[in-house]
Amino acid sequence: MMTKLGRRLFEFILFIFLLSLISFCGIKLAPGDAVRQLLRVDDVAVTNEQLEIQRELMGLDKPVMIQYVDWLSRFIRLDFGNSYMTHQPVTQEILTRMPATFLLTCTSIFVLMGVALPLGMYSALHPQQWIDRVSRVLAIMGASVPSFWLGLLLIEGFSVRWPLFPSMGTGTFWHLVLPSLTLGLTMAAVYVRLIRSSLLQSLTQDFVLGARSRGVSRARIFFFHVCRHSLTPIITMFGISVGSLLGGSVVVETIFAYPGLGKFVIEAIHNRDYPVIQGYIVFMGAIIMLIHMLTDVMVGYINPEIRLREGRP
Amino acid sequence: MTILEIKGLTLASKQGYIVRDFELSVGVGMCHALIGESGSGKSMTSLAIGDLLPSSVRISAGDIRFLGRSLLSLSTVQRERLRGKDIAYILQEYAGALTPFIPIGKQLDETLRAHSVLDRKLRKECILQALEYTRLPDRMYDRYPFQLSGGQMQRVSLAAALMLKPKLFIMDEPTTALDRTNAIEILRIISNLKEQTNCGILLISHDLRNVKRYADDVTVIKEGQIVESGPTQRILSAPAQTYTKRLLAAVPSLRIRPS
Amino acid sequence: MNKARFLVVFFFGMLMVLVVLPEFMHQDPLMVNLKQKLQPPSVDHLLGTDGLGRDLMSRLVYGGRNTVGTSLVILILSLGVGIPVGIFAGYAGGVIDRIFMRVSDSFLAFPDYITAIVLTGLLGPGVINLMIAIVAVKWIAYARLVRASLMAEKDKDYIHSARLSGVPSVHLVVKHLMPAALSQLIVVATLDIGKIILMIAALSYIGLGLQPPTPEWGAMLNEGRAYFHNAPLAMVIPGVAIMVFVLLSNLMGDELQDGLQRGQKGEQNHDHS
Repeated sequence: MMTKLGRRLFEFILFIFLLSLISFCGIKLAPGDAVRQLLRVDDVAVTNEQLEIQRELMGLDKPVMIQYVDWLSRFIRLDFGNSYMTHQPVTQEILTRMPATFLLTCTSIFVLMGVALPLGMYSALHPQQWIDRVSRVLAIMGASVPSFWLGLLLIEGFSVRWPLFPSMGTGTFWHLVLPSLTLGLTMAAVYVRLIRSSLLQSLTQDFVLGARSRGVSRARIFFFHVCRHSLTPIITMFGISVGSLLGGSVVVETIFAYPGLGKFVIEAIHNRDYPVIQGYIVFMGAIIMLIHMLTDVMVGYINPEIRLREGRP
Repeated sequence: MTILEIKGLTLASKQGYIVRDFELSVGVGMCHALIGESGSGKSMTSLAIGDLLPSSVRISAGDIRFLGRSLLSLSTVQRERLRGKDIAYILQEYAGALTPFIPIGKQLDETLRAHSVLDRKLRKECILQALEYTRLPDRMYDRYPFQLSGGQMQRVSLAAALMLKPKLFIMDEPTTALDRTNAIEILRIISNLKEQTNCGILLISHDLRNVKRYADDVTVIKEGQIVESGPTQRILSAPAQTYTKRLLAAVPSLRIRPS
Repeated sequence: MNKARFLVVFFFGMLMVLVVLPEFMHQDPLMVNLKQKLQPPSVDHLLGTDGLGRDLMSRLVYGGRNTVGTSLVILILSLGVGIPVGIFAGYAGGVIDRIFMRVSDSFLAFPDYITAIVLTGLLGPGVINLMIAIVAVKWIAYARLVRASLMAEKDKDYIHSARLSGVPSVHLVVKHLMPAALSQLIVVATLDIGKIILMIAALSYIGLGLQPPTPEWGAMLNEGRAYFHNAPLAMVIPGVAIMVFVLLSNLMGDELQDGLQRGQKGEQNHDHS
């Protein structure tokens, strides 16, 4: 376990290093002049002199290798410079907005599981009956709906026509409802079928008949044996899809003017705020790696076979 | 009194009849063997006894009586109560019969909890006793099924089955995938059990040597219907039907000397 | 199989409609006419007009060309990059393969939307950049699929014997190894049509894709949003259009997948008696 953890950590560091390289190259190769971007954002007319001074200040007149080393040394200290837009340290801007996005992600997961788990379970236990058929239709339709369209429709329906929930900003629990529904429902559509098929597969396992032959109750078999057996593929899927959740939240935050990381990054992109974009890349990379590691650990915990390698096949 | 009595049993599925007009009885302390080719309906019949048929198969006619009571008139819950306690199974897929990621002790404990009200200490004792009876070391209690060999898994299944002292054992190919040593030992344990508890045994097997050695009666089944049935001695030494003769001829080592 | 065939035909039919219909459009999708803005459906404007007085119907159809067309181009490009790389990595094996796996692992770790957004962010808005960004995300999946399939097949006996009898590598790859990969590839690619359409729409919606005034369904959703009260059609219709095509792609992919599984099951049939 120690060496495994050590290896993981090493891969993690390597990955972050690679990220720094990529984002550095990306910024350098991107069209547009960094100095011009910074100054023009202020909407101030600049002279060439001022440009040169700024360039020197930003260290952009030094050779590329030196720039990279500078970049790397600041990178290690998590210093990504200041945002072109707000002139505040990037790290700080990102960290202040993370909790909001995190909160939205959690509530969306809550919606996702609250819809997909019961439907998926019921469909697996009563296949081919009407709930199963209906959920199949809903799932395919839900997977085809653009999430932002759903968001817009929800706003129109439950915020404008029928003022139940706020459609913008944040502050109260109610502000989370519509965005979470938007994110959660579109993902739930995909999950219902995945949960269903995973459970169906588990239900056909030999040990189910074995437990039944010993007189164990069906409820117990389902919840303690079957569900646990399905957990591995579901958790793996979940780890992969947290990524989609984070990606989807970018668009959703924009629609609902929800002050999270996603909305901030989109603004940064529109304003060519490269430091923020860089910082975002690195933070996202770190978070996703973390989630993957967590997923692996959880799968290992549930699955003793992976833990105790001395098992017989 | 007979422990198990099957009369006129017919199992049907969408594809047609799996078993037709089947009859069999197992007496106290007796072992009745059911032999036939793959797909002849042996396993289905055994599953029907314990209400374990897949949803695509139904009992369309006949009756199954256990200790005099008709099983078919009982509710699902009542039949579930019988399983594991009075009617015990050793399934064909014994390797997968236990959930791989839950320790053995816990699963046997689960079975006990489903059927009795013993407290934890007594349950553990009961399980350890069962493990001992099947010649398994105590430490198996904490092991996971995937850590065991085929022979050990078979014994665990046996231990799970005999814990609650069932009246009827249904064994589907208990030794087919085992090596000779393990097979002999398992059968010896089962045979001892029969002597000690006077339970009834329904033995489904390909292995005619075991049938010859342990079964009191034999029923030959082909494509869901009985070919012939009677005491082992008679059937194996002087089979009346052609099919039976062919079945026996396929096992060259089997030689019954007419007594 | 019939259902799959029907769906595929239907899909291509819709494509044809999108390609051919613009020829019948009288209205210019780009022509702004503020006096005519937000009109309800009429003979002149079959679906009414949007916030800038442009004909919705023609914007819808031209937008379809853009949205669906771009997605197909992206799909083909991704396959064009992914398949050769996959073949190379899978067939050559060894160090090349390991490098490929490592690099693609790091790429795949990132959720596809985020990578696409970041890439368009770095490259700037515009169709070409959009295509580059999405291709960069999609090609890896295809490459890995092809590679995995090749690796599974290439060690089989019949391949060895073919090689020993001097069958040239190219022939081997194309005729023997690819077919297995191909069927899986078709399923994934079909499902991806829908996913790519959604990506294009999402990116264009936030302004990172096709730029106005080019009609594109996602961007039209953005444009129509402000006027939802007065002229709901402007926002509803593009959404429905997106949904229809993505739905088609999902249904086709599902059917193809079922067909694949049925074929595989047929090969592995064994008795459980």
